[in-house]
Amino acid sequence: MSPETITSYAASALSGPLLLVLAAFACLLLPLFVKALRGTQGLIALGALVVALLFLRRAPSLELNLFHGALLLTPLSAYLWAFAMGALALVVLLSLSRPAAPEDSQGEYYFLLFMATIGFMALVAAGDLFTAFIALELLSLPVYALAGIRRSKPGLEASYKYFMLGAFGSGLTVMGIAILNALYPELSFAALKGASAPALAQAGFLLVISGFAFKTALVPFHMWVPDAYEGAPTQVSAFMAAAVKAGGVVVLWRLFSLFEGGPVLEVFWWLAAITAVTANLMALGQTSLKRLLAYSSVAHAGYIAVAFFGGARGFGAVLYYLPVYAMATIGAFAVALALEKDEKGPKLDDLAGLSKTRPWLAAAMAAFMFSLAGVPPLAGFFAKFYAFAGAVNSGYTGLVVIAIIMSAVSMYYYLKVTVVMYMKPAPADQHPEPLGLTGLVIFLMALGVILAGVLSRPLLTLAIEASRWF
Amino acid sequence: MMEFLSNPLSALILLPAAAALALLAVPERNGALLKNLALLASVLVFAVSVRLYLGFDPSLAAMQFQLDRPWLPAYGIHYYLGIDGISLLMILLTTLLTPIAILASFNYIKEAQRAYYICLLFLEASMIGVFAALDLFAFYLFWEGMLIPMYFLIGVWGGPRRIYAALKFFIYTMAGSVLMLVAILWLVSARHAIDGVWTFSIPALYGTPLEHQAQFWLFAAFALAFAVKVPLFPFHTWLPDAHVEAPTAGSVLLAGVLLKMGVYGYLRLAVPLFPQGAAEFAPWLAVLGVTGIIYGSLVAWTQRDMKKLVAYSSVAHLGIVILGVMAFEPAAVAGAVLQMVNHGLSTGALFLLVGVLYERRHTRMIEDYGGLAKSMPMFSVVLMIVMLSSIGLPGLNGFVGEALILFGSFKVYPWLAGAAVAGVILSAVYMLGMYQAAVFGPLRHTENKILPDLSVREWLYLAPLLLFIVLIGVRPNPLLKLAMPAVNNYITMSQRQTAPVLPGISLSVGRGEEK
Repeated sequence: MSPETITSYAASALSGPLLLVLAAFACLLLPLFVKALRGTQGLIALGALVVALLFLRRAPSLELNLFHGALLLTPLSAYLWAFAMGALALVVLLSLSRPAAPEDSQGEYYFLLFMATIGFMALVAAGDLFTAFIALELLSLPVYALAGIRRSKPGLEASYKYFMLGAFGSGLTVMGIAILNALYPELSFAALKGASAPALAQAGFLLVISGFAFKTALVPFHMWVPDAYEGAPTQVSAFMAAAVKAGGVVVLWRLFSLFEGGPVLEVFWWLAAITAVTANLMALGQTSLKRLLAYSSVAHAGYIAVAFFGGARGFGAVLYYLPVYAMATIGAFAVALALEKDEKGPKLDDLAGLSKTRPWLAAAMAAFMFSLAGVPPLAGFFAKFYAFAGAVNSGYTGLVVIAIIMSAVSMYYYLKVTVVMYMKPAPADQHPEPLGLTGLVIFLMALGVILAGVLSRPLLTLAIEASRWF
Repeated sequence: MMEFLSNPLSALILLPAAAALALLAVPERNGALLKNLALLASVLVFAVSVRLYLGFDPSLAAMQFQLDRPWLPAYGIHYYLGIDGISLLMILLTTLLTPIAILASFNYIKEAQRAYYICLLFLEASMIGVFAALDLFAFYLFWEGMLIPMYFLIGVWGGPRRIYAALKFFIYTMAGSVLMLVAILWLVSARHAIDGVWTFSIPALYGTPLEHQAQFWLFAAFALAFAVKVPLFPFHTWLPDAHVEAPTAGSVLLAGVLLKMGVYGYLRLAVPLFPQGAAEFAPWLAVLGVTGIIYGSLVAWTQRDMKKLVAYSSVAHLGIVILGVMAFEPAAVAGAVLQMVNHGLSTGALFLLVGVLYERRHTRMIEDYGGLAKSMPMFSVVLMIVMLSSIGLPGLNGFVGEALILFGSFKVYPWLAGAAVAGVILSAVYMLGMYQAAVFGPLRHTENKILPDLSVREWLYLAPLLLFIVLIGVRPNPLLKLAMPAVNNYITMSQRQTAPVLPGISLSVGRGEEK
C-alpha cells in the first residue's frame, strides 16, 4: 500500500473518534450558548453517530502504528470501534425515548457517554499497558458519574459503590504496571509477548489482570455489579453491560495471550470456573429484573473467559460473542426500561401476563432470554457453541463441562422470566405506555438475536478476520 | 435458493416453519382461519412426505435425498440432510401425527390460538429436522430447538400444574443434552487431530478411530441425553408430569414423536459412532429398559388418572424398544423400529381418546366413568381396538413389533427377554383393568348418560390411526422392508471394532495437557 493511501486510511479511521469528541463537546457546550438548542443534545448525539456509522469502512488488512505504538489501528480495532459506536447509538436511542438524566444534565449525560466510548475505543486499540490504563480511566470515570447522574439515592449508591471498587481495581492495575515497568523498560504488548516472566513479573501481571477483571466483572471482582446495574439508570446499565465489559474482555485477552501456560493461566482457569459457578447460582434467587441481568452479565463474562482457552480460534469466538451478548442484553434492558416504574427497574412479577397485554414485547423478551440462555436456534447458542468449541479443541474439556453444566443451571432463571410473562395472569389495571424509540431498539435487537445465529456466517467471518490482529 | 425447496427433505423442514411465520400475519380473532391454515399446512407437509415415501428406494442401504451445502465453513458445519429407512419411517410418523394433533385441538384450544398453532408447526419443523439431519451440529440444533415450542405448549395451554411440568421438561432435557454437546465438540476435535479436517458430517464421523476409554465417555454423554428423552428408567420422572399437564396435542406429539427421538439417537448416533463404548453399556441399558417395562407397568396399574396410566405405559413400551435396540440382532432391532412406529400410533390414539373424554367431562379419573359402552358405543369400540393394539394382540400392529423384539433379544439376553414377557402380560392387566372400569359396568354417573358419541371431526383424526393400526398388524412387511437395510447397517456398525490409529488421542479432562 502506498503512503498516501495509508495516510488517508489513518485519517478516515480516526475521523470516527474525532467526530465523537466534537459531538461530545457540542452536546456539552452548544446548548449553553445557543438557547434554541437546549434539549436537543440527544439529537445532536444521534446525528453525529449516524454520520460516524455511515462512514464506517471495512478496514484494510494492515497494522497502523500511531503515536509510537500507543495506538494500533488494525481490523481488530476497526471491528470493536464499529461495535462500540453501534452500542452507543442504541443507548442514545434509548435515552432519547426515555431520558436517563434530569433536564438540566442532558448535556453532561451525552458528554460523559461519548467520552466513555472514546475511552473504550482507545482501550481496545491500546498498544501498551500505559495507554491501556489511561484509556481504562477514560472509560471508567464517566461511567461512575453516569451511574449517579440522577442524584437520587439508588443512583448515588450505585455510583459510590462502583467508584470505590473501581478505584480499588485501578489501584491494583497501577501497582501491577509499576512492578512490570521496573522489570521491563518497554510495556508494549508486543515487547511483553517475547519476554521471560520471573516470579515478580507474574505478580505484576496478576495485579493488572485483577484490575481488568473488575471491569469485566469476573468473580470475585464482581461485587459492584448487581448494585451498580440496579441503581444506575437502565440506559446506563445497558451501556455498562455491553461496552464496559467488552473493553475489559479485550485487554484481558491481550494479557492472557502473553502466556503459554504457567500460573497466570491457572489463575484464569479458576477465574472462569468460579465465575460461571457463582454467578449462575447467585442469579437463581433474584427477583429484580435488573439484578438478574447483572448476574447474567457476570456469568457471561465467565463463559467468555472459558473461550480464551481456545487460543486464536477462541478469540474469534469471543469477538462474535460480544455483539451477540450485547444485542440480547441491550434488548433485555430496553424491555426493563419500557416497563420500569421506578429507578430500580421492574420486579420479575411486574412482567406477569405480559404475553396478554403486550404480546410482541413478551415475544421479544423471550427471544432475549432464550438467547442469553443459549437455546438454539437463537444467536446466543451459536456464541456459546463457538466459545466452547475452541476450548474443547485445546483440551480444556473439564472447564467446558463446568461452564456448560452451569449454563444448564442458568436455564432456570431465564425460563423464570418467560414463565412470568406467559404463564402468570396479568394484573387487572394495566396502562401500557407507548414504546416509541425503545420499541425500535427492542425490535432491532430481537431481529438480531433471531437471525445472527442461523445466519452467523457474515458476522463470524468478520470476527475471525479481526481476531487475527490481536 | 431453490435447491432448499426442491429437495423434499429440506422442503419438509422449511414448509412448516414458513407456514408458522405466515400465521403471524393472520389476526388472532380470526380463529377459524388460523386453525384451517395450520391444518392445511400440515396436510401439505404430509403430502410432501408421501412423495418422499414414493421416491424412496428401499433396496438401497445408502442415505437418500441427500442435500449438502456449506453453512458455517469456519467450523466445518454443513446444512446436510439425508434419510435411510428408519428416518423415513420416523418422518412419516411425524407428518401423520401433526395434522391429527392440529385437528384434535380445534375445540380444545380457545386462548392464544395463533401462538398455539405456530408452536405446533415449529415443533413439526424441528422434529423432522432431527430425523433428517446428517450433520451433528444441525442435529443438535433441531434437537434442542424443539424444546422451546414444546415448553410453551405445556406451559401455556397445559393443565393446573403446567408451570412445574414445563420447567421440569425443559430443564431435564436440557441438562441431559449439554454433555452431549461437549462430547460432539470433543469428537469433532479428535477427528481434526487425526486427519486435519473440520467436519460435523455424521457419515464422515462414523468410524473415527477412538481409544476405548474415549469411546466409553463419549458414548456415556450421548447415551445420557437420549436416555432422558426416551425416557429410560430412572430418567423418566419428567414424563408423567409433562404428559399429564400437556394439552392433548402436546401429549400426542410428545409420546408419538419426541420419545422416538431418543431411540433414534441411539440408532443413528450413539451406537454407530462409538461401537466399543456401546458394547460396554448395551447390557446395562437393556437392564434399564427391562426395569422400565416392569416398573412402568406396575406404576401404570396403580394409576387412577387415565392420562397418567398411558404415560407410564409409555415408559414400559419404550423399555421394550430399548431392549431391542441394545440387542444388536436384526430381528430385535427391526422389531424395535417397527415398535417405535406402533407406539406412536397406538399411544397417540390413546391420548386422543382420553382427550375425547376430557373434552366432554373435564375429568380424566377412571372412577368418574363407567358404562361408557352404553352412552358412547363407537368410542368404546375404537378404544378397544387401540388398547388391544397397545397390549400387543396378534392381528394388530403392536404384536408384530413386540414379538420380533422378544424373539430377537432372547438370543442375546435370555433372562432379560424372559422378564420383558412378564411386562407385556402386565400391560394387559392394567389396560384391560382401565377398560373394564371405564367402559363396562353400570352407568354410575348421571352426567355420563348423555355423552355424545364420536363426532365427525373426531372420526376424521382417529380413522387414519385405526387404519394403520390394522394395516401394520396384518401386513408389517412393507415397513420392515423399508427399515431392513438401515437396520443391517446399524448392526454392522455396532460390531465394528476399530483399532485406534492414534493412541495418543485420549480423553483429556484436565487443563489441556493432553491431546
